Amino acid sequence: MADLPPNAPKDPIVTSSFSTPLMICSVLLMITVAWSLWDEMYGLRPWRAYQTRFAKAYATYLDKEVGRQKKLESDVYSAPEYKKLAAEADFLEAAAKAKDDAIAKQIAVLDSQRAAIGDAFKDARGKIGHLVYMLEIVPEKDKSEKESRLKDLNEAKAGTWKVDWPTADGSIEKDKKFTADQLNDTFTSLMAERAKLVAERGDNDAAGKVARAKANVYLSDHLPGLSAAALEGLRTSARDWDETLIQINVNPSGSSINNLGGAGLVDRCQSCHIGTDQKLVPPQLTLTKADLGMAKSNDAPFTSHPEPDLIKTHTLERFGCSPCHGGNGRAIDSVTRGHGRYEHWLWPLYYRENFDAGCQQCHAADMVTDHAEVLNHGRQLYRQRGCIGCHRYQGFDNQDEQLVSARQQITQLGSDKLQDELDIPRLQKLGDNAPDNEAANRYYAQANNLTVSVSRIDAQSAELERRSHTLLEEIKKVGPDLKDARLKLRKEWIPYWIGHTHEFRPTTKMPQFRLADDQVQAIAAFVWQSGITSPVLEHQPAGNATHGKELFEERGCLACHSMGEGANKMGGTFAANLSRVGEKENYDYIVRWVHNPRQRTRPYCPYEKRDLGPEDYAKHNLPYVFDLDHSKCPNDGHELAVQQPTVMPSLRLSIEDARDIASYLITQKHPDASYAAADYMDDPALKPKGEELVKHFGCAGCHEISGLEDEGRIGTELTNEGSKPIERLDFALYTEDAKRGVLPDGKPSIRNGHEVAWFDSKGFFEHKLENPGVYDQGKYHSNPMDALRMPKPNLYEPGDLEALVTFLLGSTDPTLPQEYMYKPQDRRRYVQEGWWVVTKYNCIGCHQIGIGQRSILMDLPMYQAENKQNLPPVLTTEGARVNPEWLKGFLANPSLSTTDTNRNGVRSYLQVRMPTFYLSDDEIRKLVLFFEAMSSQPEPYIQPKPPAITDTERAMARDLFTSPAAPCLKCHATGNAEHDKNAIAPNFLLAKDRLQTPWTTRWITDPAKIIPGTAMPSGLFKRDGDHWVFTGPVPTALQHYTGDQADLLVRYMFNLTPQEQAALVGRTPTSTKSSGNGGN
Amino acid sequence: MRIKWQAAIFTAALALTFAGCGGGEKPAPESSTAPASAPAGGGAAVDATTAGSVSGTVNLDSPAPTFKAINMSAEAFCSKAHTSAVMPEDVVTGDKGALANVVVYVKDDMSKYSFDTPKDPVALDQRGCMYSPHVVALMAGQTIEVKNDDQTTHNIHPTPKDNREWNQSQPPGAAPLDETFARGEVAIPVKCNVHPWMKGYIAVFKHPFFAVTTKDGKFELKGLPPGTYTIEAWQEKYGVVDQQVTIGPKDSKTVSFTFKAAGATGD
Repeated sequence: MADLPPNAPKDPIVTSSFSTPLMICSVLLMITVAWSLWDEMYGLRPWRAYQTRFAKAYATYLDKEVGRQKKLESDVYSAPEYKKLAAEADFLEAAAKAKDDAIAKQIAVLDSQRAAIGDAFKDARGKIGHLVYMLEIVPEKDKSEKESRLKDLNEAKAGTWKVDWPTADGSIEKDKKFTADQLNDTFTSLMAERAKLVAERGDNDAAGKVARAKANVYLSDHLPGLSAAALEGLRTSARDWDETLIQINVNPSGSSINNLGGAGLVDRCQSCHIGTDQKLVPPQLTLTKADLGMAKSNDAPFTSHPEPDLIKTHTLERFGCSPCHGGNGRAIDSVTRGHGRYEHWLWPLYYRENFDAGCQQCHAADMVTDHAEVLNHGRQLYRQRGCIGCHRYQGFDNQDEQLVSARQQITQLGSDKLQDELDIPRLQKLGDNAPDNEAANRYYAQANNLTVSVSRIDAQSAELERRSHTLLEEIKKVGPDLKDARLKLRKEWIPYWIGHTHEFRPTTKMPQFRLADDQVQAIAAFVWQSGITSPVLEHQPAGNATHGKELFEERGCLACHSMGEGANKMGGTFAANLSRVGEKENYDYIVRWVHNPRQRTRPYCPYEKRDLGPEDYAKHNLPYVFDLDHSKCPNDGHELAVQQPTVMPSLRLSIEDARDIASYLITQKHPDASYAAADYMDDPALKPKGEELVKHFGCAGCHEISGLEDEGRIGTELTNEGSKPIERLDFALYTEDAKRGVLPDGKPSIRNGHEVAWFDSKGFFEHKLENPGVYDQGKYHSNPMDALRMPKPNLYEPGDLEALVTFLLGSTDPTLPQEYMYKPQDRRRYVQEGWWVVTKYNCIGCHQIGIGQRSILMDLPMYQAENKQNLPPVLTTEGARVNPEWLKGFLANPSLSTTDTNRNGVRSYLQVRMPTFYLSDDEIRKLVLFFEAMSSQPEPYIQPKPPAITDTERAMARDLFTSPAAPCLKCHATGNAEHDKNAIAPNFLLAKDRLQTPWTTRWITDPAKIIPGTAMPSGLFKRDGDHWVFTGPVPTALQHYTGDQADLLVRYMFNLTPQEQAALVGRTPTSTKSSGNGGN
Repeated sequence: MRIKWQAAIFTAALALTFAGCGGGEKPAPESSTAPASAPAGGGAAVDATTAGSVSGTVNLDSPAPTFKAINMSAEAFCSKAHTSAVMPEDVVTGDKGALANVVVYVKDDMSKYSFDTPKDPVALDQRGCMYSPHVVALMAGQTIEVKNDDQTTHNIHPTPKDNREWNQSQPPGAAPLDETFARGEVAIPVKCNVHPWMKGYIAVFKHPFFAVTTKDGKFELKGLPPGTYTIEAWQEKYGVVDQQVTIGPKDSKTVSFTFKAAGATGD
């Protein structure tokens, strides 16, 4: 180094070093490698940390559970009751053991003997069988051959088989000889003996088995859930938990199930939501956040599925998670991605308040879906608040569409028929003039064929007319018939109502339209001027308002209507709140309405497209009578609309009662109510403008309006609204705000406690429903009619908005295969169809139909505590209770009488009235099938043979029926007015036609099981061996009756005649021999 | 926990370079606070040495309203059981306006103390087609023994708001019915559906500080631990009235209640 010239350039090889940059690079590389490895293992796999946390917390929880369960087990095992049961079982088992062992030994010997002779026996049987056959096939005449073969057979029979025969003492008798017959006998006797021993063994240890079963029942009753051993097993798996990706290959063997449209669905949700893994957390454990000590954590997705019943029917293997909940089941690298809450994922996870939306995709045909209360409420709102008036929805009331289609078909068939009828004489003529017979016959045949076709067309038309009649009965409108506006309403009230809908009646179904004053005036003028003015209403004398109020509260009006405002409001929300009805309606009209709400002023002819008056009937010399039995148009013979399109039923009140109720209702008003005069409503110039507006805003979707009967729905169809891609939802000027999470009111958008964007379907629906004009804000419309038309729906109850949004979110174009859709073909289909009718007429306002469902009346103050007995009947077992044939008649006419109709047919003692709904035949059929299906009854119903009773039995039953132990007639009506004053139960005479015997027996022996809280007492009968006997002292005549007394009574009831019953009333109790300690 | 291969590679990779670059960022463990469930069994027994009592009378401010006699003609046995007219027991008064059948009780939550459920049953007799007594009070879990002394079948049908409902038939001569109520409730109406005039009430308490007045209108609540209480009086027709009372150790306080007959919102 020293030899280098002083100025020589430095040798870079020896003087400079890259070690520093290399070092830095190497460090960077190492850091990068380390980072990438870390990211690979943890950064991209956040589920690992979740699993570790879960495993630790779960193991701690199980520690506690194991301890608790062990203590419980030792307590139960050492409990005197269990010890006694176990000891008894031990004793009986021990007592039986010696004999059991002996028998087992005998059986073992028999089995070895049977095995030993088995081969020889089969061989002998085969050989003899063969020789017998050979003998039998020789013809009778061939004597020598026959004899020779007989000889062979006898030789074979005399021959012996050698068997190593095991004896009872365990030794083997070598080469014991058996002939064929001996083998056969031995084998048969061995089998017989074995059967005998097995039976003996069963008898021997029966008592022990029963005792052991009792002990085990005690254990299972007192040790619910998992055993300590099972819990310990789970704890071991939790402690040894190996972080691993958990994924479900949904429906691996089935067709493709996928929200991407490709190969199978893979859900990895459980990798973080590990508590839903049923291998790790069995269904018997319901794991909550609190169980894991994470009650307050916002980041602990570890609970087990909170609805185990749902998971039973929607198994994870078949359904996975994301088909119901939404989200991106494959993504596991972040919560946002896994939950699919980013702009271009089409199925973001539903928020908690909208969880039920996931049900709708497959349950779109349901009106009521179990476990989906929010969704059910949403559907109900959609139907009842009138969304359906403007927005078509597949499967929702579409009778109007069917009717239009039926009418078109009828018209088409009419023209076909006309054509055919012209062709027939033409063809006949051609035949007459044909050159040869063959051609003539061909023409005649064609003419004849056409005649038959015409008769077929006639049949088809008749059926379509019948269908139209049914549809006309079924079509209901959400709002009232405006043709009657002039007869019914106070003139000045109409414009006030249109402009201040929700102020006048805060719970109305009618939405609030955004209208300028001149628009309100024009609409009011149109409604007024297009109203019917004749025939005028009959003038009604005043009634008694006090009695009217009583009737209003007693007859059940409150099941649908509410009365009172604010905190004083009472009753159902199905129909209008009547607090201010006196301000708007005309007394004479209310009387007619209460008396029969279905009564129309004029029938409507859908073919002539006009309302008919007396003059139309007079032309044909017909009286002006139109009802369901007189529903043909006098002019053209087609079906008329003869009823108001309302669901309100007839309560079959007398006209006096109707007047009393109307007199009460007319007093319901604000004392200071006043309305400005509205003379402009008579201005004919306003009418065309009003008509244009009424059409523009789609009023005819909910109301029947003169001239607009055939107006269609004006809104967009919403069946698949939840699937609409985000770019087709017009956020207008709020697009950027929505993406930034700023609400229209400037506040931040908050969901689940987090500030998030609302640029999604949920955000769009929520703000649209809250304020339907919101997406117009900041826009200029040169023509005001271009503005958004949708009125503000009246979603006044908390939860209404969420329910409706949930329903819309769930209204998606199904991505699942058809077989996932809930379209049951068995009796569940009847349940599904029936709910549409049940909710259409609000049967649940009065009745409890589903288990756990509450009616409106049940919660009213006048039906509490002891007054519960005044409630309408509970119908949870109706299908098993009544004869469906009877039920059809009852639903058609609940008074069960053609003359005495101002009463209940079955429960004449109830003040609350089962109304007449004028159901169509189809609706009755659906309801009856619904009740039958709800009670698992077979369909079709086959009427059983009426239960018979002998005269002796009848005499005994009569004594029993009137004995002090059977107070039946104290409560059950008999038709005797004096007696029935205290009646609280139906007449026994109805039983025969109305009830089914198996249900009746179950009812009288344990009514509280069928209807908890019923006035019918339990404990009337007790079990004696295999039959029921009376609990109380039994009449002398029955002391030696060995039959079932409940059955006897039921048969007596089903054979009861009016004469017999009349004789019973007032009959003194027969002598009884006291069986208790009471004594006389 | 077993060693996992991922962790093994990771550790090995790190070992090549510097130690401990970027330790696993595990989420902070949950602050595991013990569940704040109340200790089972309520609490301590009342200290008898310091316990006080509240006694007094209940009155009605005006004469009792007149009622129509009960018509028992629907059941021959019942009408024969009485020689004179039977009056409904909605309002029963004694001398000087003393009001009977009033349940007086401590309204406050007493769950910080524990109480023994009395072993002796409370009797409810059906005699002459009337309930005797008309109003009974008992502790939750205490047995009520319902007897039928009549030669007719009764059914006992309590219609509670917060307890389990039952409805049991009891023919003449049947063994007494032993039942309990699990939850406090003032007061459960009881009726016999067979004899609709038969009405009574059962008041159920989670503590033993209750009494039912007799015809002298008197009551006494004994063994109360020192403290301030709301004492409430319940009458089936007149509803409730209450008063505050503070009891020191071994104190005996007197309170009296007066129900107003006018303007009562009967049931």
